[in-house]
Amino acid sequence: MAALETGEMLPRRSEEGAAAAATSFQRRGGRLASLPGTRPSARHGQLLLSSGLPSLDAGLGGGMAVGTLLLIEEDVYGVYANLFFKHFLAEGVICGQNLFVASDKEDPADILKDLPSPLLNTSVNVMEELAARAVTSKQESQESMRIAWRYQNIPKLEVTQTAFSKFGHYFDLSKTMSPELIQNITWNGFSLFEETNFCPDEKSCEMPCGYTRLLHSIQKVIYQRGYDGSGPQKKERNILRIGIQSLGSVLWGDDICCTENPQSINRLTKFLYALRGLLRTSLSACMITVPAHLIQNKAIMERVINLSDTVVGLESFIGSERETNPLYKDYHGLIHIHRIPQLNSLICDVPDTKDLAFRLKRKLFVIERLHLPPDLSDTVSRTSKQDLAEPTKLLSSGCRAMAIGKEHLDF
Amino acid sequence: GRQLFSSPSWLLPEDDFRPKQCGTFAQPYSDVRGAGERERERARDAGGAGGWRSRGARPSPRLFIHDGFRDPLGWSGARGGLTVGDFSAPQLVLRFSQAAQGPATLALDSLSWLLLRLPFPSVCQVLAQLPKKANTAGVRIRTLVALLHGDLHPPEQLKALHSLARVVVTLKQGDGSPRVAVTLHRKRRNKVVQKKEYFTVLSGFALKHLGEPSPAAVSGEEVIQKDDASAVADPTANLTFNLRLSEAERRAKESVPLPYQFSEEKKSSLLQGPTGQGKIYYEPDAADDIDDEDPDDDLDV
Repeated sequence: MAALETGEMLPRRSEEGAAAAATSFQRRGGRLASLPGTRPSARHGQLLLSSGLPSLDAGLGGGMAVGTLLLIEEDVYGVYANLFFKHFLAEGVICGQNLFVASDKEDPADILKDLPSPLLNTSVNVMEELAARAVTSKQESQESMRIAWRYQNIPKLEVTQTAFSKFGHYFDLSKTMSPELIQNITWNGFSLFEETNFCPDEKSCEMPCGYTRLLHSIQKVIYQRGYDGSGPQKKERNILRIGIQSLGSVLWGDDICCTENPQSINRLTKFLYALRGLLRTSLSACMITVPAHLIQNKAIMERVINLSDTVVGLESFIGSERETNPLYKDYHGLIHIHRIPQLNSLICDVPDTKDLAFRLKRKLFVIERLHLPPDLSDTVSRTSKQDLAEPTKLLSSGCRAMAIGKEHLDF
Repeated sequence: GRQLFSSPSWLLPEDDFRPKQCGTFAQPYSDVRGAGERERERARDAGGAGGWRSRGARPSPRLFIHDGFRDPLGWSGARGGLTVGDFSAPQLVLRFSQAAQGPATLALDSLSWLLLRLPFPSVCQVLAQLPKKANTAGVRIRTLVALLHGDLHPPEQLKALHSLARVVVTLKQGDGSPRVAVTLHRKRRNKVVQKKEYFTVLSGFALKHLGEPSPAAVSGEEVIQKDDASAVADPTANLTFNLRLSEAERRAKESVPLPYQFSEEKKSSLLQGPTGQGKIYYEPDAADDIDDEDPDDDLDV
């Protein structure tokens, strides 16, 4: 039924698309660019908004485009996916955007209470750290190389993804956001269990119930508040950020997580089709986290990836042997960018590196370029450590040549 | 928090409550210890199944048993029994609200029994919504403890269940008497703690905690590596000849020009050489008449 309704909206979609496409040829400060927390993309003319992590934005080609779907594949314990989710929502709060929060386990109000506090303007820590880093790098460059002088002109490896730009905010994970900030914005929540409270007689349609109710709930918000470009929002347009946590887990009543041959293989994909339809026709952007490691049937996960615009996979080191591996001692996990959307063009933004890792500092969550730590041991060379050479297969060609071509390196 | 015990190869000792499969206990708390410690102790108690006995072998007024064993499908129609159909959040909350007064701990023995009879997603849903539902009904469920025989269920179901629980204690039969409990605890503030502990069950079903494995046992390799490092640390220690350089000697050594050390000019030319593209140097003759407008000016046409 939802699909039918989105079908009706198709004509309107082309109008909206035309309007969005036209912005790239308008002067700055045009109609759409005045939306809070957005900026037009220099590359494809779509409106971008920040995912809440500027370093992730850089990896995704500037940010998330409005009307697209960002899928986060959860790490095994869901710890870091939860951080991504919270950053996404917190960014919306700071930008004064409207939120729609859905979760399988938690109450949406509890999630909002637990958002990280923003580091506005000049945060002391970040700036200190930056200054320290700048000083050390200057010192290093001044010291000329005696033996390896041929490497002198090689550009310094930029570890953090971007300079601190105006777009997107940084958040302090050690503090929670003040409640006043959240009171200022409009938000809607969807809690799986609360709503079953009101319809206990719905046992007949119990299984797909979660998805359908969620879809109806999103649809209602989009239509009633006019994010689809109709009527009431003409005077004051705003973006709707939709965050859905652990979509596809058992609690939605879907059995894709517990068996390889679920009763209905396309419940989740159907939902995603309808959701994409809604997103494309409205001023909204959506982040979904999916427990990909629990979904048994790989075909379902492939389809889900194909139905999303941007796909980011998380691999945490908790409990894996990489936790103790010296190669990864600086990091808490790896980020795999599986998919970047191709918007208004035949090609997508290709980030210059795909070897990204994340680190959870005391306050800040950062995504960095993965690089080998310096080898300061007394042994002949790095290659003598077999276990170290093994995981470097993951690294890109440059590093890989170093780590795998042992016999060539042994001088 | 919710706790889940999965025990792939672990046998429950015979016990008064053993026959009451799917028994549900509600018990108010009167403990004053720290929450973390209490939780751990509770985990251990329930894990060893001797804990209930030590807290009083006869069901006390603080201990309520809902018997789901005698008539699981409701055939005999006996009143008060817990049937499979009763395993839904509202029904269970109704039962608890009659019994419990204060915050309660709920123990399920065992979840396996339910999972084999009810669809997996609905069991998970009930477990997840039970504390919230109970809260709205005025009963606070502090902890929900569920026992599970891990060897009875497909691994993917176990993984899904583990992802729902805050604490997962996996009991393994070690070789010999010390058994192993692997605890995985999701804490607040984005932390996951994994711990391995040894315990043993004494003759009176008392549980004895034998402590955690010593670091040496956990990572024998690392210790060996450390030994290596200390051995490697100073190779020049006991030598019959001198391998060290004095400051003056070192300076003299560094001042010797080596074949790969070039002058600054050569270095810079070598560094620029491969990166720069080919260039044409051309000095115009007197005869050259350079005119951008007409390149063919000098041709006799």
